[in-house]
Amino acid sequence: MFQFVVDVALRACDLMLIAVGMSAVYSLMKFPNIALAQYAAMGAFLAIVLQRAGLPLVPSSIVAVLIVGVVAVLLNRVLFERMLAIGSSTAMIGSLAVSMVISAIFLVIIGPSPARFNLEITRPLRVLGARITEHQVLSLGITAAAISVFAILLFKTDLGRCMRATATNNLLADATGIDTRKTKTAVVAISACLAALGGIIITMKGEVNIQTGLDLLLPVFSAAILGGLGNPLGAVGGAIVIAMAETLITNVNFGPILGQDLVFLPAAYATAGSFVILVLTLLWRPRGLFISEVKRV
Amino acid sequence: MIEVQGVRAGYGDGPDILNGINLVADAGKIVTILGPNGCGKSTLLKCIAGFVRPRAGDVRMSGTAVTNLKAHEKVRSHGVGFVPQTDNVFSSMSVTENIMLGARFVARAEREQRFEALLTQYPALAAKRNRKASALSGGERQLLSLARALIAKPRILLLDEPSAGLSPRMMHEVFEAISEIRAREGICILMVEQNAFEALHISDTAYVLSLGDVAMQGRASDLLADPAMRSLYLGGDAPH
Repeated sequence: MFQFVVDVALRACDLMLIAVGMSAVYSLMKFPNIALAQYAAMGAFLAIVLQRAGLPLVPSSIVAVLIVGVVAVLLNRVLFERMLAIGSSTAMIGSLAVSMVISAIFLVIIGPSPARFNLEITRPLRVLGARITEHQVLSLGITAAAISVFAILLFKTDLGRCMRATATNNLLADATGIDTRKTKTAVVAISACLAALGGIIITMKGEVNIQTGLDLLLPVFSAAILGGLGNPLGAVGGAIVIAMAETLITNVNFGPILGQDLVFLPAAYATAGSFVILVLTLLWRPRGLFISEVKRV
Repeated sequence: MIEVQGVRAGYGDGPDILNGINLVADAGKIVTILGPNGCGKSTLLKCIAGFVRPRAGDVRMSGTAVTNLKAHEKVRSHGVGFVPQTDNVFSSMSVTENIMLGARFVARAEREQRFEALLTQYPALAAKRNRKASALSGGERQLLSLARALIAKPRILLLDEPSAGLSPRMMHEVFEAISEIRAREGICILMVEQNAFEALHISDTAYVLSLGDVAMQGRASDLLADPAMRSLYLGGDAPH
């Protein structure tokens, strides 16, 4: 049972930071930036490249996260702001196109083979009967720390108050002296940094390839919608629900039902869980599980 | 304090909504802009606030040209407080957070003092200081919006239809609050209103717009007594 909890927590970790970033961007920019899933892969690839160039893991990860933040701000200024001036659906389709272009760039520069960090392989720890590696523990810790810092930023700092004010009422924020363009730029940068960190965390536990961004898109999008697009901390809950559904699908033994000892669904079916939850959410709770107008950021 | 000279403005590629407006509003005075729907009142206020860029003409504040400044720049550099007609509070934030957002450019030492003074002035808000703004009534939201603008010690206060959607009792309270602000703060208040009679009673001067032009202007008391004004905008004989 505790293994199930650990598996859910680890999968939620994979999705959480990117989903929070997507939701935060939506709350201010009013479009779901699909390219965020690719920023996750970009962060991982950059960190690997920097590590191979001789930088230790932590500095290479920090530099990679910052580079992705800068790239996201540039893309926002050059492309997404202009697309948004036309309409939010234009910006969303544009972000899908940007996502495809980034994927093609990965293919040209890095190639189709998966890439990994150069990390020492350690024996898994046993916690209450569950197996968990040191890198997995580290990824849980980093995710929890990043979410806590983001929550403090959102509710305890001037920038956070400006972010929430701009998300609630852009015109009024402007009339209150908030430079809403600067605030939006800050959110774009922070969201991209969160996504890049998310990508690095995923890769710490396995590998990254040119499909990673696209594979993440559906579950991340589902988590963000489930939490209520525009409610970044709701996306944390959304990620946990999606992770639970995916883990259930792949961990449940259907053998006794089918009169056999062991029958498990293939891991590829995990995505179907995200799909089903996305469809059900859109039908019954289109504004998300946790959202009300009052809670919207 | 505010000078508008020959301002022409419109939206997108559309025709001009303002056809060269001239207006002056001095410190310590309440100036009201009146007129029927679609005459350009709100567009003029948005031009002055910095939400709409004029196609021609000048807007000056305390003698400085501010025509091309954005709204947030005018708040910071020229002490402009703007209270929109609708959506005038941050509904997902508490009453305290709403007011304190306006205090970002006030010295830290002064913020708490001004905050408490405003709550004393508006007891309806004091009782609900920790509630979400979305839980307030229309009148309380209008007072909250005024408090948010006032905590920044504005030199110019722009009000877009402050009585819109309020009950007669609440409308009276809001106009009284505006009148008190002029007496206490001595600032320039420029207000767009539909309730001509109530607005003129607390105003010093007024401008009446019609189809993007100034149709009438003068002292509020003179306009209240003007037969043409009465028949067009005050519904016949004004009550006394």
